[in-house]
Amino acid sequence: MKVSAIKPITFVLVKEIGMTVLLLFGVSIIAFLIILASPGDPFAQLYGGLSGSEAERKALYESLGIPTTWYGQYFSWLGNVLQGDLGNSIRSGRPVLAEVVSAGINTLYLTLGALIVTLAVAAPIAIYTAIRDNTRLTISFNLFAYMISAIPVFWLGYLGIYLSTHLFGFFPLGLGSSDSGNIAKFLLPIFILGMGSGLISEVVRHMREQVSRVMNEEYIRTARAKGAAVWKHAFKEGFLIPVTEIMAIKMPFIIGGAIIIEQVFNWPGMGRMAWQAAQDRDFPVILGITLAAAILVRLSSLLHKIVFVSVNPRASHL
Amino acid sequence: MKIKYIQHTKDVSQYSELSLLKRSDKTDVVFVGYGLFILSMVLISYLLGVLGWLPFTADDMDMDLMMALPGTGSHILGTDFLGRDMLTRLILGIQAYFLPGLLAIVVALGLGTFMGVLSGYRGGYAETVITYINNVTDSLPRLVLILLVVAAFKPDIYIIMFVVGLTNAPAVASLVKDKITFLKQKNFLEASVALGLSTRTIIFKHILWYNCRTLLIIQATLGMAEAILIETSLSYLGFGVQEPTPSWGNMIQAGANYMMRGDFWPSTAPALAILLTVLGFHLLGDGLNNILEGKRRK
Repeated sequence: MKVSAIKPITFVLVKEIGMTVLLLFGVSIIAFLIILASPGDPFAQLYGGLSGSEAERKALYESLGIPTTWYGQYFSWLGNVLQGDLGNSIRSGRPVLAEVVSAGINTLYLTLGALIVTLAVAAPIAIYTAIRDNTRLTISFNLFAYMISAIPVFWLGYLGIYLSTHLFGFFPLGLGSSDSGNIAKFLLPIFILGMGSGLISEVVRHMREQVSRVMNEEYIRTARAKGAAVWKHAFKEGFLIPVTEIMAIKMPFIIGGAIIIEQVFNWPGMGRMAWQAAQDRDFPVILGITLAAAILVRLSSLLHKIVFVSVNPRASHL
Repeated sequence: MKIKYIQHTKDVSQYSELSLLKRSDKTDVVFVGYGLFILSMVLISYLLGVLGWLPFTADDMDMDLMMALPGTGSHILGTDFLGRDMLTRLILGIQAYFLPGLLAIVVALGLGTFMGVLSGYRGGYAETVITYINNVTDSLPRLVLILLVVAAFKPDIYIIMFVVGLTNAPAVASLVKDKITFLKQKNFLEASVALGLSTRTIIFKHILWYNCRTLLIIQATLGMAEAILIETSLSYLGFGVQEPTPSWGNMIQAGANYMMRGDFWPSTAPALAILLTVLGFHLLGDGLNNILEGKRRK
C-alpha cells in the first residue's frame, strides 16, 4: 500500500496514541517513585530490622531475586503491570486489577453523569452570556456560576441528603445497594457532583470565550446574511469542539470531585477505594488507581483529539 | 506616548488617556473591589489570630450554649456543636490556609516562571521536555496524586501544599510561555538584544517585571482560592488539619454530622466563610484579568 493511500487522519491518530502511551509511561514512573521513596522497607524484618546494614540488605534482595536498583524494580513492576498483574491488595488480598476495574466502572457512571449535568447547566448559560453581552441576567448568571463553584462539594452533598430525606422522603444511596431498583436515588450524587466541584464556572468561562469567538467569525456573518440557520454553522466549532475539549481538560477535576462525592454517598467507586488505600497505606491499590485515573484522563483527551481532527479537516494535515 | 497615539489607530484603548478605573467595565471594578475587601479581611483575620486578639479562647466550651445561632449572648456568630465560639474559630481557621497557601503559591509561581522562561525564551529541547512534564502532570488528577503522597508519607499540610504548588507550576509555566511567545513578535525584545542588554536584564526586567507581573498576581489569587478548596477537601477526607486546631474544612466536616438533625449552623458558617472567601479570590483574579490584560476591552 502506498503511503498516500493512508488517510491523513490515521497519521494523526497514530501520533496521538503514541503520545498517550508515552505520557502514561511518565505517569507510571512518577507514581512508582513516590511509593519507592516512602519510608520503610517491607523486607526490613528479614535482615535485622532497623539495624540492618546496606550490604545485608543487598544480599537479601539478591537472594530473593529482587532488583536492587530503583530502575530494576521499576521495570520488573512495569513488566507485571503490562501483563495485567497489578499485585494483590494488602487489605483484602484480592487482585488489584479486578477490584480497580469494577470500582472504575462505578466511577465512570458517576463522572460521565456529572459531566452531562454540568454541560446541561453550563452550556445554556455560556451561550446566552456569549450572545447577549452585559445584561442584568448575564451578570446574575455569571455570579451564580461563580458561587456554586466556591461551595465545598461535600457540604452541598450533605445539604442534598438533608433536603431529599426531609422534603422528598427518600434517602439517597450509593450504587449497588439492595434497593437498586429505584434509579432516582442514584441521581442525587450525580447531580451534586455535576453542580459542585468548581466546574460550572470554568466551563461557562471557556465555552463563552469559544462561542463568542465563533460568533464573530466571518462565515457566521455570511450565514446570517444569506439567511441560513446560524446554529447549524456554529455547531461544530462553537459547540462540539469546546464540549469535548472541556471533557478532556476537566476530567482530572471531575475525578477529584468524585473522590469526595463517593465518600459522602458511599458510592462504591475508585475514589472510596483510593481513600481506603491511603488510610491503610495499601500501595498496590493506590498505584492501580493512579494508573486507572491517568488512563481515564488520557482516553478523554484522545476522544477530544479524534473529534477535533474529524470535524476539522485542517487539523489532519501534519 | 503621543507619537504612539498617532501611529497606532487600531488598538486605541491601549493608549487611552482615561484612567484605568474609568475605562474598565463597571462589573469588573465591583468584582475587584469585593476581592480586595475579602483579601484585607483575610489579612486582618490572620493578624488577629497571630496576635491573639480574639473574643474567646478557641477551645472554650460553653455547655449551656451549644449550636447557638448568631447573636446569642456575647457570641456574635453563635457557637458550634461543643459550645465553642464560632467567630473565634473562623478567625483562627485562616491560619490553616494562610502560610500553607502562600507556600503553594510561591512554589507554583517560582517553578512555573522558571519553566515558562526556559521553554519560552530558550525553546528547543527545553520546550519539548517541559511540555512533556506539563502533559504528565495534567494526566494525574490532583486529589489522586495527593492521596498517593498521603499513602506514601503521611505528610502534614505544608508538604501537601508543596505538592499542590508543584502540580500548579506547569499551568503557570504554559501561561508565561505563551506570553513570551507573544512578546517575541514585538520589536522591543529584539531592540533590547541589539542594544546589548544582558539576558538577565531582559528576562527579569523587560519580560517578567514589565510584562508578566499582572499575570503572576492573577495566578497567585487563583492559587489561594485553590489552596483553600484543597485543604477543605482533605480535611473532609481526614488528611488535613486535625481537630481541635480549627480549619474551615474540619469545621464543616465535624459540623456536618449534626446537619441531619436540622442543626445547620455549625457547618454552614464555615461553608459560608469558604464561599465568600473563594468567591472573593476568584472575582479578584478574573476582574484584574479583565481590567489589566484587557480580555473584554471593547
